[in-house]
Amino acid sequence: MRNLFNFIIRNSHWLLAILLIVFSFYLVFAHNPYQRSVYLTSANNVTGWFYTMSSNVTSFIHLRKNNQMLLEQNAVLENELFSLRSYINNLAVTASSDVDAFVRDSTEQTQFSFIPSEVVNLSFSGVNNFITINKGSKDGLKPDMGVISQRGVVGVVANVSTNFSVVIPIINPMFRLSAKLKNSDNYGSISWNGESVNTAQLGELPKHEIYQAGDTVMTSFSRIFPKNTVIGYVSSMGKTSDDNFNTFNVKLATDFNSLQDVLVINDQFYEEQKLLENSLER
Amino acid sequence: MKIVYLKEVLVFILLILLQVLLLNRINVFGIATPVLYIYFLLKLPIGRNQFFVIISGFLLGLIIDIFLNTPGMNAAATTIMAAFRKPVINLFYDREIYDEYVPGINTAAAPFVRFTIFMVLTHLTLLFFIESFTLFNLLNTVIRIISSSIISILLILALDGLTYRKKAGEQ
Repeated sequence: MRNLFNFIIRNSHWLLAILLIVFSFYLVFAHNPYQRSVYLTSANNVTGWFYTMSSNVTSFIHLRKNNQMLLEQNAVLENELFSLRSYINNLAVTASSDVDAFVRDSTEQTQFSFIPSEVVNLSFSGVNNFITINKGSKDGLKPDMGVISQRGVVGVVANVSTNFSVVIPIINPMFRLSAKLKNSDNYGSISWNGESVNTAQLGELPKHEIYQAGDTVMTSFSRIFPKNTVIGYVSSMGKTSDDNFNTFNVKLATDFNSLQDVLVINDQFYEEQKLLENSLER
Repeated sequence: MKIVYLKEVLVFILLILLQVLLLNRINVFGIATPVLYIYFLLKLPIGRNQFFVIISGFLLGLIIDIFLNTPGMNAAATTIMAAFRKPVINLFYDREIYDEYVPGINTAAAPFVRFTIFMVLTHLTLLFFIESFTLFNLLNTVIRIISSSIISILLILALDGLTYRKKAGEQ
């Protein structure tokens, strides 16, 4: 220990020199743009790997925020698309009926609006699957609203609390949805046999229905989803219990394993339609 | 003793002013710039405290840097030079030499010339490499180092020969 101290004392001027030299180089790099640029570029070769890794991580973290932004933008665009579509339909009607005096009400509501929402819990523990999202009655959600992702149909809102909602996805045995192939008008029904998270079954299609692998499966008449919302793509012929009907395996458009952001469909005329239809039954 | 220090401070300031106001504006053939201020470090007494040498070397470089707007470059080169001054002196001078001896061309020409050449070359090599900071244009850098060194060495030796005055005690 004493020798160590002696050593340090004897050589302390070297320590001082090293300290001052380091300080000088700090000045060189901190205040001379040229040296700093050379230093940084040469350092990049060494630390490039670290930079890449850290940027990977940070971009992954930002992905969530970006996703949210895109989703909100998407909701706005979809709203616009639907209002424009209905506007075009109305224009077509007025053009064919030749009524020039008819002026569309510009304050008219569009039928569908979209509420962006985030998945907070995915319960795919087996058969009784459900999804929890972070929007509830506070945000105007009600049971029986449709839920879609960027790619396609997700499911239907089942229960609503103030801040959360539970969605029954396609991959739940309780889920039924009327569906059809894109190039056909015959409709069948989507259900799930519990085998694979990525595949559902499109059943009750007439036997003569022609299909090709990759055909798009879309919603048909539904109180919940807009017409022609993508559900998935036909992958193969499935097992069927009834000889009069075909069943197709449908690869779902929504990837439930990586589901993060969803849109809840708010159908402005849902109550009206339901009331009208129920009045007949009464 | 105090007069010695006062003289050193004066030399310190004079050399800096000379370097900054005059010599750094000289650029012979666009490549060679005389560097005189390290003359201060050459002329310190041999036995001077290393702390003093290093700190004064650092301050010398730093002040030059501040004037020339090149933070750190001269300071780094001069500090390194100051730190290695003692070993270099041991290389060129006899060990028996007394501590108060000031290296000079008039008292011992050959060792002083070698000492000067070594120190100036080292200093300018460091300085120009810190400045260019790359081996990209190596030939150009080497030419600048050598030409600047030649001018600086000549200048220092001339200055040392001219300013020598016999001390009263030596006569």
